[in-house]
Order: sequence, then C-alpha cells, then structure tokens
Amino acid sequence: MIKVEKLNSGYGKLQILFDIDLEVPRGEITTIVGPNGSGKSTFLKSLFGLTDIFSGRITYQGKDITYIPPHEKTKMGISYLPQTNNVFTNLTVRENLRIAGYILNGEELEERINFALEVFPELRGILDRKAGSLSGGQRQMLAMATALVRKTKILMLDEPTAQLSPKLAQVIFDKIVELRDNYDITPLLVEQNAKRALEISDVGYMFVSGRVAYGGSAESLLNHEKFQSYFLGVVGIEEC
Amino acid sequence: MIDVLIGAMVWSNLLVLLALGLTMTYITTGVPNFAQASFAIVGSYIALTLLRLIGLNPYLSIPVTFILGGILGLSTYYIALKPLIKRKASIEMLMIATLAWDLILFGIIGAYSEVLSAITKKTETLFVFTSLDFNIYGIPGRLIVSSLLVLLTILGLYLLLYKTKFGIALRASMENPSLAEAMGINVENTRLFSWFLSGALACMAGSVLPYLQEIVPQTGYFIVVSIFAASIVGGLYHIVGALVGGYIIGISESLFTYILSILLGPGVLVYSKVISLLMMIATVLLHPRGITGTEMWRRVERWLNL
Amino acid sequence: MVELITLILFFFALYVIVSLSLNLEFGYGGIPNFGKALSVLTGALVVGGILNRLLIWYFGIEGDFISASSLAAYRMTEIVSQNPLIGLGIFLFCVTMAVVAGAIAGALSILPSAKLKGDYLGVTLLAISEVVYLILFYNTEIVGGYYGVSVPDILAFVPGEYRVYAYTVLALICALLVYLFLEKLLNSPYGRILRGHRENEDLIKAFGRDVMKLRIKTMALGSAIAAIAGVVFVFYSSSVVVNAFNRVEWTFYPFLIVLLGGKGNNKGVVLGAFIFVLLKMLIDFYKFDIKYLLHLPFEAVWLQYIVFGILALLILCYKPEGILKEEPIYTPPIKSRLKTNP
Ligand SMILES: Nc1ncnc2c1ncn2[C@@H]1O[C@H](COP(=O)(O)OP(=O)(O)OP(=O)(O)O)[C@@H](O)[C@H]1O
Ligand SMILES: [Mg+2]
Repeated sequence: MIKVEKLNSGYGKLQILFDIDLEVPRGEITTIVGPNGSGKSTFLKSLFGLTDIFSGRITYQGKDITYIPPHEKTKMGISYLPQTNNVFTNLTVRENLRIAGYILNGEELEERINFALEVFPELRGILDRKAGSLSGGQRQMLAMATALVRKTKILMLDEPTAQLSPKLAQVIFDKIVELRDNYDITPLLVEQNAKRALEISDVGYMFVSGRVAYGGSAESLLNHEKFQSYFLGVVGIEEC
Repeated sequence: MIDVLIGAMVWSNLLVLLALGLTMTYITTGVPNFAQASFAIVGSYIALTLLRLIGLNPYLSIPVTFILGGILGLSTYYIALKPLIKRKASIEMLMIATLAWDLILFGIIGAYSEVLSAITKKTETLFVFTSLDFNIYGIPGRLIVSSLLVLLTILGLYLLLYKTKFGIALRASMENPSLAEAMGINVENTRLFSWFLSGALACMAGSVLPYLQEIVPQTGYFIVVSIFAASIVGGLYHIVGALVGGYIIGISESLFTYILSILLGPGVLVYSKVISLLMMIATVLLHPRGITGTEMWRRVERWLNL
Repeated sequence: MVELITLILFFFALYVIVSLSLNLEFGYGGIPNFGKALSVLTGALVVGGILNRLLIWYFGIEGDFISASSLAAYRMTEIVSQNPLIGLGIFLFCVTMAVVAGAIAGALSILPSAKLKGDYLGVTLLAISEVVYLILFYNTEIVGGYYGVSVPDILAFVPGEYRVYAYTVLALICALLVYLFLEKLLNSPYGRILRGHRENEDLIKAFGRDVMKLRIKTMALGSAIAAIAGVVFVFYSSSVVVNAFNRVEWTFYPFLIVLLGGKGNNKGVVLGAFIFVLLKMLIDFYKFDIKYLLHLPFEAVWLQYIVFGILALLILCYKPEGILKEEPIYTPPIKSRLKTNP
C-alpha cells in the first residue's frame, strides 16, 4: 500500500535516515522496531511529510506522495498519531472527534463520529471531559478514534502503548488487530514493546542507526539473531 | 474617590482589549508584539480624523476603527513577520521586526498628526475627547462604552471559540499547530484571524482612550509596559489571561497612583508604571506562565467546567 | 562641511561604543537586550545626577536642583578653563563611576529573567528600561527630566571654536579603546564560551558553566561599556536632557547597526555604525532642505523613523547576516597551525 525507495531524510542539514527501502502491504500489520534514537519516529514523520526529504521516493497506492504536504495526505486517507501530544488536551473528547473530521461536512461528520464510537465504546461516557484529564489508555483510544473519524486507510502509530500497563497495552493491541480485521485499515506501528507488537504483526522491520537492519515477516524477525541480541538480550524477556 | 474607581475601570477595560490581542498573537505566532500600543494610538488618530473631518462622534466611529485596525493587524503580520517566519527567523529577529514596525507606525502617526494639523488648522499633536463624553445618571459614557466593548468582545469570542467549528479549530491550532495541521486544518488562518482581531481590538480601545487621557504621538511608549504587564501577569499562554491580567494591572495602577497622590501630591501618574513593572517582574520570577498557568487556575477551570 | 564631518565622526564614535556593547550581548551572547538605552542613560545619570550633586554640595549652592546645577556647572566650567587636569580628572572620575553604575544596572536588569527564554528576557529588559526612562523623564528632580540640567564643560580649557573637535577626538579615543578591549576579550576563553552559549545552552550547562552567571556577567560588561557613551554624550552637549536617551535612539538604532554590520562581527558593527550615522546625520543636517525639497507637510524626523524602520525590516528579511558575516574564532592552537600550514 505504501512503498518507500531509497529514502534519505532528516532535520535541516542533519541526516537521520539512510537509504530506507520498505513496503507496507495492504490489510496487514507492519511493525518497526529498533533501539532508541534509531530513527523510527523520524521515519513515520518522513512518510507524513514532517521532515526534510533529501532524496528517495514514497508512493501510496501507486501515487508519488514524497513531497505532498501533511494536510493533503490526511485527505488521502493517511493518518499519523505522534508519540506524544496526539490529542488536544484543552478540547473535550467530543471536540477532539469533531476537529478530527474538520474536512468533512456536518452529516458525514456525525456518521463518522458514531462509527468511531462504535469501535471505541469506551469513549461514550466521557464525551464532555477534557482530553487533558483522561488516563493514558483513554487518551490513546481517543487518538485512534480521531483517526477513524478521518476515514483512515493507513494508520501510522508511534508507540501507542508507551507508558501503559501491560493489561492496557494488550487492549490497544487488540484494537489494532480489530481495525485490520473488521475495518480494512492498514496499521503501521512503531513499538518499544517489540516482542508483543511483533506477535500481532504480519510484517516486521528493524532499524539500527537510521538504516534498515532487517525486513521480513514478523515471525522471522522475532526469531532473527539480530533481534534476539538487540532486544531480548538487552531488555529481558519478561519486559517484552 | 468615585472618579478614581471609574477611571480604574475604564483603564482596566481598555487594557483588557489591548492585552487580548497581544496574548492571542503571541499564542498563534509566538512573538511578543512590541507595536501593540501603537495600534491603539493609530485607533485614536482614526477616531480623531473622523471627528474633525466629518464630525462623527468617536464612539460611533468604533465600527470603522475596528475594521481599519483589523487591516492594520493583518498588514503587521503580512509585511513585518510572515516573510521572516518563512525564512525560519529566530524569535529575537521577529521581536526586532515588531520593534521596527512600531517605529514605522510611530513615524507615520507623528507625520500624520502634523498633516492633520495643517488640514484642520488646529494642533492635533495633542488632543483629548473628554469634553465630548456623555453621561447617564452620572455614569460617564467612557465607562459604559468600554465595559460594553469588553462584554461584547468576551461574549463574541466565547461563542466563536466554543460554539463554532472554526472556533474549535482555532483552539486546536493554538494548542498544537502541527497536530492541527495533521487534522487538515489550515493553521495559517488562525494566525490571520488573531492578527486581525488584535489590531481591531487595539484600535477600538484606542478610540476610547482619548476620553481617559491626553493623546500625543508618543503615548504608545507610555502605555506599552502596562499592556505587557497585563498579558504576562495574566499568563501569555491563555486568552483568559488577558482578562485577568488587564483588570489586575489596570486596577492596581489606578489605585496605587491614587494612594501616592494623596501622600505625595499630584504628578505621580508615571509611578503607576512602577507597580506594573514590579508585578510583571514578580510573575516572571515566580511563575512565568502567569496566573492562568498555575495549578490553582486549572482547578478553577475544572470547577467551572470550561 | 567640516561641521557636518565632525558631527558624523562624533556620533559615529558614540554609536560604535553602544553598538559594540550590544554586539557583545546580542551578537555574541544571544541576549536580546531591548533595554540597551537604560545603560546609556545610566552614564548620563552619573554625570547629571551624581556629579552635579557633588558639585552643588562642594560649592555649597542653595536652591532647587535644576538652577543649582546650572550655577555649579558654570563655576566648575570656570575652574576647568584655567585647569585642564581638573577637567580630565572629572571625566575619568565620571567614566569610572559610569562603568560601575552601568555594570550594576545591567546585572540588576537581567536578574529577574536571566534564566528565561529569549522572548521573556527581551520583554523584561525593555520594560525595565522604559519604566526607568519614564520616571527620569517625568520626575524633574532626579536629573532634570524633560527640562534638563546643565553639566560642566570638562574641555573648557580648549578654545571655543576647537572644543567640538576636542570632544570628537575624545569620543573616538574612547571608541577605539572599547574596540581593542572587546577584540581581546572575545578571543579569550570567555568569548568562546559566550558564543557557545548562544548556539547551545545545554552544551554550556554540560560543561559546568552556569548560564545565568554568564548572562549576568555579559550584561554587566555590556552595560558598563555603553554607560561610557552616555558620559561622553552629556559632556559634549553640556547638559542632560532625558528625551535624548529614548529607546529609538539608543535601543533600536544600535540593533539596526548590529544587524546592518553583521551580528557577531565587531568590524562589521563598526562599518554598520558608520553607514548608519552617515545616513542619520545627513537626514538630520539637511532636514529643512529635505522637507522643502520633498514638499513634506511634516517634520523630516518622522520620515527618518519610517526610513530606518523599513531599513531594519529589509535587512531582517534579505540580509539577516549583515554586511560582514560572523568570523570564526581562532583559538591559539588553530592560529599557530594556520601560520605553519597556510
Ligand atoms: N526535531 C528534530 N530535530 C533534530 N534532530 C532530531 C529531531 N527529532 C529527532 N532527532 C534526532 O533524530 C534521531 C532519531 O530520532 P527518532 O526520534 O527518530 O528515534 P526513535 O527511533 O523514534 O527513538 P525512540 O525509540 O527513543 O522514540 C535522534 O538522534 C534524534 O536526536
Ligand atoms: Mg520515537
């Protein structure tokens, strides 16, 4: 669905990513793992148009979208939820959902909000609370719900389970699987909870120092020695 | 004493209007606008011109000053700031740009005051409207009008920000411009809106200001510290901060001068600026985000369910 | 013509001193000192407020401050005209006091905001400077306010027609000394740390340098230097009129000069000061001709404000690095290596 070829990008003159080749197949969960600072977030930002791209090509459903600005990509069905600050804390849950569908007209907006609330019924009871007062899990669900309002086809999530309890993390992972299975949404994930994320994924990539160190099926990455030494060796099995 | 209170209320109302614009443009554009006070003086001169040339009562000219002020605000953004923002200029450079713009406005105001004097054959470099003011049951027009202006502004802003889609988008862009962009909102519109409103409110305040004090081309230099004090004490990151800070600064300045004048005699107006400065410094030292940035304020907000 | 050239040279020297001090604070240190005028005013305050009071006390003159000052200034001028050393002694005494007072004023004014970001820092500095200015302007008992007070003519021993030249030479000498001092200072470890601080605060913190202390020190130094210009200026005009120390002339114009010449480049700032003063003095000198020629229905000074405001915007937009770009600093090892392998 998304194809990245020889992507070089960074911030200003500072290059972070080098010759990235990567493919996100439709209807499958793709997960990117890698050590801190390896450029995972930068990669998602580059896809969405928030970094400086030096060279390379990004195509989406065959169309070249390398230099298309973010709000245009939003209209094309590409959503990006940043690692932090992914909801408006001063706005209520309802306002957050309405603002997510800023580009839609009134009726369609209501329809989409209802749809998002069907997927995330947890939000129904807290519609008039300010997003700033929500718990971490609720906030993450709200962020994902805002993407649903926008008729997302591809949903890029940067560490959606960071700072969540293992139990809540599992709820979020289950939702991600549900999005793929029932709503034809293609999730693209960046995760620190590498092992658990790869277990629900179809495709896995590993970044090291701004380069793709491995790419293949999620299962093969889980069993790959590089992955084992980087993550399981360093972090320990229990934590994953 | 009652005159002092009336003066304090009028001055506070005007400060609220001036600080609102300063705070809004700071939130959307990230630059403290040093030309804010000159916006007001431009408004005063627009009102004076309409009075002299077509005999329009300054209160009635408020719709005109509002619109012309809005245009002034927009041109400030387009001419002085946007070209620099595009080039990713630093905040210091943007501040120098607003100082430069302030100087240009000062030059234009000064030149214009002399041109107007030549046309009307009067000295227009110094003027007041006090003798034109009306009065209902002893309440002077400037108190009624300035209070109405603040009420209308707050009501209008509230309805806009909380009850319309554009308003929600505005609040969203103010909080997190890049996320708002990701939602498909054109963040530039927020900036344009805030600069329009900033100029409009300031010029509107400026057309009432001559009812309260003498206006000369240099008046902007006299009031700029009060405006900044109001915005900073209230909190530069929150629109409501301008409201809170405007009243705190306006009332403290007036009462402080009143007490001083009892103790020391007349001619102490300038010391009102000392109290603003001290309150501003205390805020900067203790809590730079101002009153609306405190934990207590957040609790008040939650309680009011805003 | 000679008159104009002297005028240009005198103000060139003054603006060199003030702009170099601003370049230290802003160009090298990254401190947006929008309260620059305060330090120049401090110099004037030392002469008009302190020296005058000392003289009034010394001569035992009665009466209100402004008229007593006139009398004291007159008496002192008489003495100086017979005795050059006393004149120069008073000058050096005032410069010393101004340096101390300037350093204190600079350090105090940045104290509340020394830890904060550029915008709060700039706003606070501007506000402090403005309020002090307004008080000194409206309260005529401190240094005469808008009426102004006389100060002694410390070069009264020079025959009348040459005195302006003597002041100009004095100002130029001060400017040269300031330039040499700053060049030496900025090539010291302090100069490198200062620049490092501007580029990256965290880095300096990591080196164990306290950013706040560095800023306070820099402001103290910059203000001390600028205060010298205030002293020279009031002796030259043999009076202190507070209006002359407004924020346009002594905050905005120095910023314009630093931007024009090149932030962080002292040679550029000197060049910038020259171009600026040339322009300003030409407008000032020919203001009546300009008014007449262009059929301006207003005073040329307003036009001057508009022109310099526009000039600043143009520089900010099209040439923010100024005429001369910032030079790299050569540490002694690099210098010696450059010498050996050219
Ligand atoms: N806005 C920015 N400007 C400049 N450099 C940045 C910026 N954001 C990130 N970087 C740098 O880019 C590199 C990669 O950062 P990135 O956030 O992409 O890593 P990451 O893989 O997401 O790490 P983490 O697991 O900690 O989230 C880091 O060296 C970081 O310092
Ligand atoms: Mg990251």
